Amino acid sequence: MDQLPPDLFGPYDEHTQPQVPIEHYGNTVTRNPRRAPFRRPVTRSEVTGPLDLTAKLRPGDINLAVVDGKPAQGQLIWVSGRILDEDGRGVSGAIVEMWQANAGGRYFNPLDQRDAPLDPNFIGNGRCQADAQGNYGFFTIKPGAYPVPNSNRWWRPPHIHFSILGPASLSRLVTQMYFPGEPLNVPDLLILSIADREAQQRLISRPVPTQQVEGEWLAFRHDMVVRGRHATPPL
Amino acid sequence: MTLPNAPLVPLGWQTIGPFFPRTFFSEGDNDLTRLAPNAEPTAQGQPIILRGRVLQEGGGPCVNAVLEAWQADAHGHFRHPADPNHAKADAGFMGWGRAWTDADGAYDFRTILPGGYTDATGTRAPHINLGIIGSGIMRRLVTTLYFPAFAGANAADPVLTVLPAELRPRLVVQPDGEQDGTPVFRFDILLRGEPHEETPFFLD
Ligand SMILES: [Fe+3]
Repeated sequence: MDQLPPDLFGPYDEHTQPQVPIEHYGNTVTRNPRRAPFRRPVTRSEVTGPLDLTAKLRPGDINLAVVDGKPAQGQLIWVSGRILDEDGRGVSGAIVEMWQANAGGRYFNPLDQRDAPLDPNFIGNGRCQADAQGNYGFFTIKPGAYPVPNSNRWWRPPHIHFSILGPASLSRLVTQMYFPGEPLNVPDLLILSIADREAQQRLISRPVPTQQVEGEWLAFRHDMVVRGRHATPPL
Repeated sequence: MTLPNAPLVPLGWQTIGPFFPRTFFSEGDNDLTRLAPNAEPTAQGQPIILRGRVLQEGGGPCVNAVLEAWQADAHGHFRHPADPNHAKADAGFMGWGRAWTDADGAYDFRTILPGGYTDATGTRAPHINLGIIGSGIMRRLVTTLYFPAFAGANAADPVLTVLPAELRPRLVVQPDGEQDGTPVFRFDILLRGEPHEETPFFLD
């Protein structure tokens, strides 16, 4: 660690976080409590967390677009950014996990029984450890949209699921990244479950101008801010 | 205009959805006693098994929920710089584990009985923090487990006492025999139900 982990954790601003239930998503009813959560003091077990997860959650899986030398179907993309705390400091060593559908909008997961083709060269999940400045990046393909079953034709826009384990139990984040300019972003019920419009927009990645990309792929930048501030702010 | 040093806003949570990759789980991820799957378990503390089921409204199993556990070592220390006593922490104890529920909603962890500690908020009873994510859970649900042997410490715990008295027993695990000589504790989680049945959760 080249810096101390954050030591201040306020509650989330509710307007910037999803609210349940969500129409056409029954699990948001049956799996969320009726009773409001209890506000608790922040103690040592919430501000600490595991710092050496790499032996359990092994990183090094950043190229999803090639399996055994064979390229996956779809548009090759490089998704990168920084994991930041609320003071804008890079979260050194954060574990970043991601998973997504293939170019046809189907997950490799056996639970996805949709009638869309599987791509033998696309498994669709990766894990890396952010560097000392919080940088992460994955080569992958742009995921396809897919319809949500029994939902009156709600289609999920192309998205990548992210799971981030930071330096404290309270800096945990699970989110989804969307792509700029997708028509399906506008009516998406998961994006709309967040009331604040700016907070909705922060879920959408930024395109990198093609002239600035070093190779024959499209690139998207996506910084992800996890919770935590420092009692002593940066100069 | 963003002012210098103005805080950034944490990103919005979203559900893991139904397709959290099974390949993210490896043998031993649910064992908090080891630093790595092939490492020796810590020599300190009383090994225990924690098991239970995650249930949704109506009492059916919540399948493919992901549970993440975090706790202090046997002496109440965390191997983390935010703990002033971290230099004394058990260097062979991981303290973190991840489990997922099967078709029955069942999960289990192997760990050691945590120690309590005193910080600015008071004296914490031995406890395990648990976070639950799953399809339809848009933000992590967090709760904390306590042990029946520490009734006195539980009654003074600054987190448990946030709950109305009648709900506190809901967060105390139940002894459930032994497995190969290791004590087993049971903790069933009802994500949604009648007030007297639903598991109490804390604001994350
Ligand atoms: Fe998805």
